[in-house]
Amino acid sequence: MTSYFSLAYLGLFLPAVILLYSILPQKHRWKVLLGASYLFFWSISGKLLLYLVYSTCSIHYFGIWMNAIQSERDRLLLETEKQNKKAVKANYQRKLRQIVTAAILLQIGVLLVLKYADFFGTNINSLLAVLKVPFALPIPQFILPIGISFYTLQAASYLFDVYRGTVHADRNIFRLALFLSFFPQIMEGPICRYSQTCAQLWEGEKIQFANLTSGCQRILYGLMKKVVVADRLNIFIQNVFTDFNEHDGGVTAIAMVLYTCQLYMDFSGTMDCVIGTAEIFGVQLPENFKQPFFSKSISDFWTRWHITLGTWFRDYIFYPVSMSKPLKRLTVSARKRLGNHFGPLLAGAVALFCVWICNGLWHGAGWKYIFFGMYHFALILTANITEPFVKTCAEKLHINRQSTAYHCIQVVKTTILVCFGELFFRAHGLRAGLYMFRNIFTGFSLKTIKDGSIFTLGMDKHDFLIVFVAVLIVFTIGVLRERGINVRGKLSEKNTAVRWAVSYALILFIIIFGAYGAGYIPVEPIYANF
Amino acid sequence: MEKLYEILEEIQPEVDFTTCRNLVDGHYLDSLSILSLVAELEDTFDIVIPTVEIIPANFNSAEDIWAMIIRLQEEA
Amino acid sequence: MKGKWKAVFRCISFFLILILLLLGCSYVVTPKNNQKAFGMDMVSANGILGEKENTIDVLFVGDSESYCSFSPMLIWEKHGYTSYVCGTPLQPLYDSSRYIQQAFKTQKPKVVVLETDVIFRKYGLGSYLFSKGQSYFSVLQYHDRWKNLSINDFGSAISYTWTDDNKGYRYSNKVVPATNLDYMKYTDEPEEIPKMNELCLLEIIELCKKNDAELFFVSTPSTKNWNYKRHNGVQAFAKEYNIPYMDMNLLDDLKMDWNLDTRDAGDHLSYQGAVKVTDYYSGYLQERFSFEDHRSDAQYASWNEALKRYHQSVKG
Repeated sequence: MTSYFSLAYLGLFLPAVILLYSILPQKHRWKVLLGASYLFFWSISGKLLLYLVYSTCSIHYFGIWMNAIQSERDRLLLETEKQNKKAVKANYQRKLRQIVTAAILLQIGVLLVLKYADFFGTNINSLLAVLKVPFALPIPQFILPIGISFYTLQAASYLFDVYRGTVHADRNIFRLALFLSFFPQIMEGPICRYSQTCAQLWEGEKIQFANLTSGCQRILYGLMKKVVVADRLNIFIQNVFTDFNEHDGGVTAIAMVLYTCQLYMDFSGTMDCVIGTAEIFGVQLPENFKQPFFSKSISDFWTRWHITLGTWFRDYIFYPVSMSKPLKRLTVSARKRLGNHFGPLLAGAVALFCVWICNGLWHGAGWKYIFFGMYHFALILTANITEPFVKTCAEKLHINRQSTAYHCIQVVKTTILVCFGELFFRAHGLRAGLYMFRNIFTGFSLKTIKDGSIFTLGMDKHDFLIVFVAVLIVFTIGVLRERGINVRGKLSEKNTAVRWAVSYALILFIIIFGAYGAGYIPVEPIYANF
Repeated sequence: MEKLYEILEEIQPEVDFTTCRNLVDGHYLDSLSILSLVAELEDTFDIVIPTVEIIPANFNSAEDIWAMIIRLQEEA
Repeated sequence: MKGKWKAVFRCISFFLILILLLLGCSYVVTPKNNQKAFGMDMVSANGILGEKENTIDVLFVGDSESYCSFSPMLIWEKHGYTSYVCGTPLQPLYDSSRYIQQAFKTQKPKVVVLETDVIFRKYGLGSYLFSKGQSYFSVLQYHDRWKNLSINDFGSAISYTWTDDNKGYRYSNKVVPATNLDYMKYTDEPEEIPKMNELCLLEIIELCKKNDAELFFVSTPSTKNWNYKRHNGVQAFAKEYNIPYMDMNLLDDLKMDWNLDTRDAGDHLSYQGAVKVTDYYSGYLQERFSFEDHRSDAQYASWNEALKRYHQSVKG
């Protein structure tokens, strides 16, 4: 079992878990889920399971500790006179802040050491070398347990929520363990909050036939995105990005667009599989994608792409930073001088910067990821700064900014900007990314399409055709959803013949047009490595 | 309540705050306007709005915001 | 209760229809003949499909070691019994099992010889299941043929007409000397046979028993792939299940000349190496089984013609 699309997972593991879950009485079902989750983790990462156990124990303990202090505070507040209440509150607030800081550091610290020691160590060493300091740090090499970037964020959000008092600390360590480790989401998210999933997971709701079929449908749809599109594109993209300096700008541009497509199909396909699996067990996970390629701006894009990561950063980094005391003061004074639009921009920019540094680094330890973060930071900031200017321009030129044509242009512009971002994301290092970026403009030509040599890079005409058809299907469903049509809901209202025909069509489409078996190399899930 | 409408209108003049019920979910208030709004509300009503309160449910309509202000004033 | 039975009934009918659809698709994409032009995979190993029924005496299976080491035409020339090598590159053990099963459908070999390099090739549960699926629904194996289906694929019957002149042997005129000549250092330790592979071996043993064929293990000389630990592992297994096992890496009689007998520095045998190995092993089998000599049997005339072409291609 190396991915949610492997035969061992879909054909054996998942059916076995479903079977066991449905035959056991309700009060034992959480054990099935927890056992399956730990088995899944162990089958991929082996002994590194200890890291997960460590995280679980530590947030369990710190949660209870914070809760104890909160109830002590509340008891004391009842007894204190009104004028002294503020001082008592502040006193306990300080204590709580210290605890939550320590607890978060213990979570993030492990991630930092395991994931970033290599990157920072190497960079410090090269800095030392430049400064001619005859000393080099030893660089430890670690193997990352799967999903550490995902479950660490879940663990941290739980601690923040207990600290803020929005959730009560959980005394049951098994429930917390299940919340952190639930097997469908452990590898690639979505990043859930305690309040979103924990109770549902623990409930052990009976498997409903309707949930089972609709969950399976969703898994199939994800399988289609992954096996027909993402995996078929893989060889072509790998070829172009590996030998990046042997291709002209036209091929590079095509590879850039195809990679963006692959990343979306791979990640959102996995999410369909994950959310569909959870649906079978009656658990509703938060959505991670909402037709991202219909975004009208980059900040709009980030509310539709990897949504749970975006909201995590918004709730636990953006608002806390921008509403910290010094920045709040800055906002108030700047607003008086600079007005409504530019006033909060300063504080916002500082907070945004923090968000995007974290976002870049979260994806991986490397300069190209930091660049990726800064690229999006710059785009969002520029859009904010130029907004009043664009508005006046549009008014002067009598352009209707609510018209469909204007929206289309915005969507196309956003998509192109996103594609360039993903180019750096995928490139073999920042330098290769910059080379490819330049090459698209300076070395652009359509020669390879005219002479057909583009079809020798890992995808023939048939491959391009089938990718086009599959993307068209996904696009059409996307358009319907954008118009507010619940496609799956509509389908479930149809009679058996139609529903079955759709399922058969989907299954045969995957089996016949999937990129698997002889002649294809199995593709690792992309996001599991972040 | 009058004061609240004044503040809101100043920050986002294009929206009718007496009727709009999805200020956040409908993207009428973006995160930057919320920053201004929070700073302004804290000044005007002498309250502290902690980060926890910044959720769509508290900002989706003028009534929601008003309810939050009253609650925070009582708590303080 | 009534609702429950209805759901079960619906489930069963859903999957029944699905199976029918898969069988339909499998028929369409299955190559209608065993040649490359018809979309057939691994033609040299699948050439056995075109052999006349019940004419093969000995079946060799294995990975590249098998098709570089055994040349059935040489056996035919010397002893007059027939053999075929169902060997494919990097063959996993479940494929060996599949080729044996496929052979038993049209042939009644007395002997099945498994080249032991396959025994240590690891694979996951997923690929094993997938291969099982492939043997029921060939659409899983040949799905990529949607790219070049012809009108014939939708109506004509499947008939295999092609046979390989080399009978599965893959000739090469390359010679690259080997350097690591002391690869068979003695040790007591055995290399463990992976659990999944052991299951598959048991499956093969069962298969041969059911079809009255005797199973043999052989390790052909290879300085890159073989060592004493592996020898011990196979030896122990063979002993437990009473399978005759010959490790040719330990045979002094073979007089291997590693300067000339390998085509790629010890990994695979050159033609000269294959001649030595084939000669030795075919003699060993002939001694045990005293196969009937078919060389003057009119039924087998095509083999004599193939032998002529074989000599030409090997010389040229």
